[in-house]
Amino acid sequence: MSADEIRAIVIATLKSIAPEVEAGELRGDRPLRNQVDLDSMDWLNFLLGLNRKLGVEIPEADYRKLVTLDDILAYLAARLA
Amino acid sequence: MRKAIAAAMARSKREIPHYYVAEDIPLAKALAWLQEANAQRPMAERLLPAALLLKAVAVTLKRYPELNGHWRDGAYRPAAQVNLGVAISLRQGGLIAPALLDAGGKPLTQLMQEMTDLVARARAGSLKSSELAEGTITVTNLGDQGSDSVFGIIYPPQVALVGFGRIAERPAVDNGRIMPLPMVTASLSADHRVSDGHRGALFLRDLADLLQRPGEIDE
Repeated sequence: MSADEIRAIVIATLKSIAPEVEAGELRGDRPLRNQVDLDSMDWLNFLLGLNRKLGVEIPEADYRKLVTLDDILAYLAARLA
Repeated sequence: MRKAIAAAMARSKREIPHYYVAEDIPLAKALAWLQEANAQRPMAERLLPAALLLKAVAVTLKRYPELNGHWRDGAYRPAAQVNLGVAISLRQGGLIAPALLDAGGKPLTQLMQEMTDLVARARAGSLKSSELAEGTITVTNLGDQGSDSVFGIIYPPQVALVGFGRIAERPAVDNGRIMPLPMVTASLSADHRVSDGHRGALFLRDLADLLQRPGEIDE
């Protein structure tokens, strides 16, 4: 799966939880939860959505690595490689 | 919605003599217990700390009937079970507090599933009106928004509200040494017509004690 395809799925999953998100306004290097105002339940649903769409099981120990959009895209790309 | 919130909160502050108590609760044992429990669960069944806090509140409330019920027609009526109103902020603004029914009597896994469902339906606007009127006490959690603590306004005719701030490492004294330990500040807003600060403080102390024995919360 290409980086663009992964990004499209991540953004679509994010918009399913926070429809007001404008993908073009997201900064890849800043904490995603702060930019989109995701609480812990939103965050869990976001990660579950990625799990369902991409088939990637994310261990809880890895949650701390997933802070920025860039972190998430890099993590998923590595897991799907 | 803003007008409805304003009316309810203004009524609360006008009619209910609030008192407030708070306690910093160490969470190292609770978080370690959760981490171990979640390690054996698939993603869809993992537990959030918020679910453990809700269950701990519900279990502790069984010993404090004066905090769980309604003030109606000039008198207090304790409730037969703990229906936790969960304060949920809506993305378009506003706040609602639908209830998790009999939260003290349900296994933690079921409570987590029901909380997930309640939040999803609240944000989708598909709650039943009855779910908004069944709470016997409200729990609000502003930890995700970064607040260290919250001192809420009681939702009438309820007589108490429990608040949680963010879970964060703070300097704490452990066996005579200063250590960074995960803590949360729990607060209680309660109705002085029904209970006193002494009982409110004991409730928070019991809640803190229970969270040091997380394996007992789900028994």
